[in-house]
Amino acid sequence: MRPAAAAALLAGLAAAALLAHRTVSVAAIAALLLVVCLRAPAGRRRLYLVGAIGSGLAVVLVTPFVETIGSHPLWTGPTVPVLGQLDVTSEELRNGLFQGLRLTAVALAFAVYALLLDHDRLVQSAGFARRSVLAIALATRLVPTLERDAAGLVEALRGRGVEVSGARGRARLLSPLLAGSLERALNLAEAMEARGYGRPGATRALRPSWSAVDRAALVAAAGAVAIGVLWL
Amino acid sequence: MALATVQALTFHYPGAPAALRDVSLQIEPGEVVALLGPSGSGKSTLLRALAGLVPHFHGGRFAGRVEVAGLDTRRTRPAELAGTVATLFQDPEDQVVFTRVEAEVAFGLENVGTPPEEIRLRAAAALEAVGAAGLASRPVAELSGGELQRVCLASVLALSPELLLLDEPTSQLDPDGAAAAIELARSSGAAVVVSEQRPERVLDACDRVVFLEEGRLRGGGLPDAWLPRDAVLPHGEPAGEPVCRLEEVSFAYDRPVLDGVSLQIGRGEVVALLGPNGSGKTTIGKLAAGLLEPRAGRVVREGRACYLSQDPGRYLVAERADEEAALAVGGDLARARAALAQMGLADHVARHPRDLSSGERERLALAAVLVAEPDLLVLDEPTRGIDPERKDELVRLLRLQAAGRATLVATNDLVFASALADRVVSTVPEREAVLA
Repeated sequence: MRPAAAAALLAGLAAAALLAHRTVSVAAIAALLLVVCLRAPAGRRRLYLVGAIGSGLAVVLVTPFVETIGSHPLWTGPTVPVLGQLDVTSEELRNGLFQGLRLTAVALAFAVYALLLDHDRLVQSAGFARRSVLAIALATRLVPTLERDAAGLVEALRGRGVEVSGARGRARLLSPLLAGSLERALNLAEAMEARGYGRPGATRALRPSWSAVDRAALVAAAGAVAIGVLWL
Repeated sequence: MALATVQALTFHYPGAPAALRDVSLQIEPGEVVALLGPSGSGKSTLLRALAGLVPHFHGGRFAGRVEVAGLDTRRTRPAELAGTVATLFQDPEDQVVFTRVEAEVAFGLENVGTPPEEIRLRAAAALEAVGAAGLASRPVAELSGGELQRVCLASVLALSPELLLLDEPTSQLDPDGAAAAIELARSSGAAVVVSEQRPERVLDACDRVVFLEEGRLRGGGLPDAWLPRDAVLPHGEPAGEPVCRLEEVSFAYDRPVLDGVSLQIGRGEVVALLGPNGSGKTTIGKLAAGLLEPRAGRVVREGRACYLSQDPGRYLVAERADEEAALAVGGDLARARAALAQMGLADHVARHPRDLSSGERERLALAAVLVAEPDLLVLDEPTRGIDPERKDELVRLLRLQAAGRATLVATNDLVFASALADRVVSTVPEREAVLA
């Protein structure tokens, strides 16, 4: 399948997860995306899965304490300044689960995009807004690049007999990682300019034409959005 | 008529002293010019001026005139010069835009408006020319440094430029790969300006040498340290109390890299580990230093081991140079400053590591491992980006301290290996006789 068709399908599923109003429907979409995500190599997918599932769980846990809906309290706590009286109702729990699953589904759709799509072909197939697509592709590469740089920093320190452990040890890497990313971005911008990026009259290598599978994926993407609005 | 003309060029980066001072130069079509000079002498800046990146990309104060193929670079943006001029930058990792090799090589061709039906053909031909045809569908992230440098060379050769600017194009290539790359550039028909820190790699292939020193063109012959030297590799026997022993060691990443490798390094000896790109030199170094565990066999080590990676200037974490050097000695700033002074960085102890030049960063990284006074010191390509004078200093320093430790140096630099090592080991055993 062409990356553009796959990206459209993922966008359709993410939109369906945002538009659906039944928890079970959103859970089904998240489960489907999780299964696809598990096809990525274990080492690379770990960070994305932790991010997607962790952020969903955080929403599930926090929502009951910041919302005040429902009339079936399961627990009543103390009064906290600004937030008022803390309580947890069954409606808040259900809503927290629903919003958490939504966030997880959208994050998993991004994870599949980042891990499994060929971004080069996606950029090359972009018929319009090529600059924006290239910017997104470069931004997507930021995560694996940061992972590599972080591994290089840890290895350089271990090479001097300095072990990096704990939150404080890892926090020390944030500043050099940021500085390294900025340096890298400047060097890349210079190299792109030297290679003619942004010059009028650019062409593109010939691309294979759209197959039946690609067209079916586009129809499925539109269908997912429509079903999300109407039935899920 | 000259293809490129530089007239009385003086250039300052923003807020910095002059990087180039009154430089005048002509480059004829098809000639190969070797651009030599110490680190920080302005070689990369001169290449950037020829590509139009100075001043368009970097800003700064620009006086004089640079013309390439009749185009004034102050009036023509670098992107418009692309195709006529092609630049291979110093660090291949920082110039890669795409994730797959084929798309990466096609990128420049697309930008300069190559007819769509020609793009894949020209990209494939360029990859084949640099001996990287088999890499076309590979992810860029999986390539070794040498392979990546070949791919970047293919990206510029694919453009068939009139002027080819190469900034240390062989820094990560083994000697055979380096000779092939220079010959390829020469036979492309373009005028070539090649900046190098290893003069022996370009002097035979070039028509003319230009030497820069503190931003000025230097007349007369080359300084002694820059004259080509013969690499006479030592063939000593293992000596000294063993500090590190690799016994029948095997290792694999996605594919097997080492199979049944044995090596012993004794206290007091310096062993140079040679071998082509991708043959496992770095892996052996990491196994010796304890950064990797073997899949089979064992590594026996006595005392403390330190490892200096390739491109170490990229991996500095502290806010000050002395704090960086003190990391390996539990924050002992006095020892750290002494180590920095030994590396000629006494005036930079309070500076942020990223404010140092690339050569200074490399020396800081070296000080940060030497300060620990390890029993086993492993250096991975320590001469990358280091000029011959600094290389001589590095040899002197390492020889001075060699008696107290075992030293393993993975390198492609035969001149450095011959000056430093007591013994040479090749990752391709059948080549040891040839090297000797």
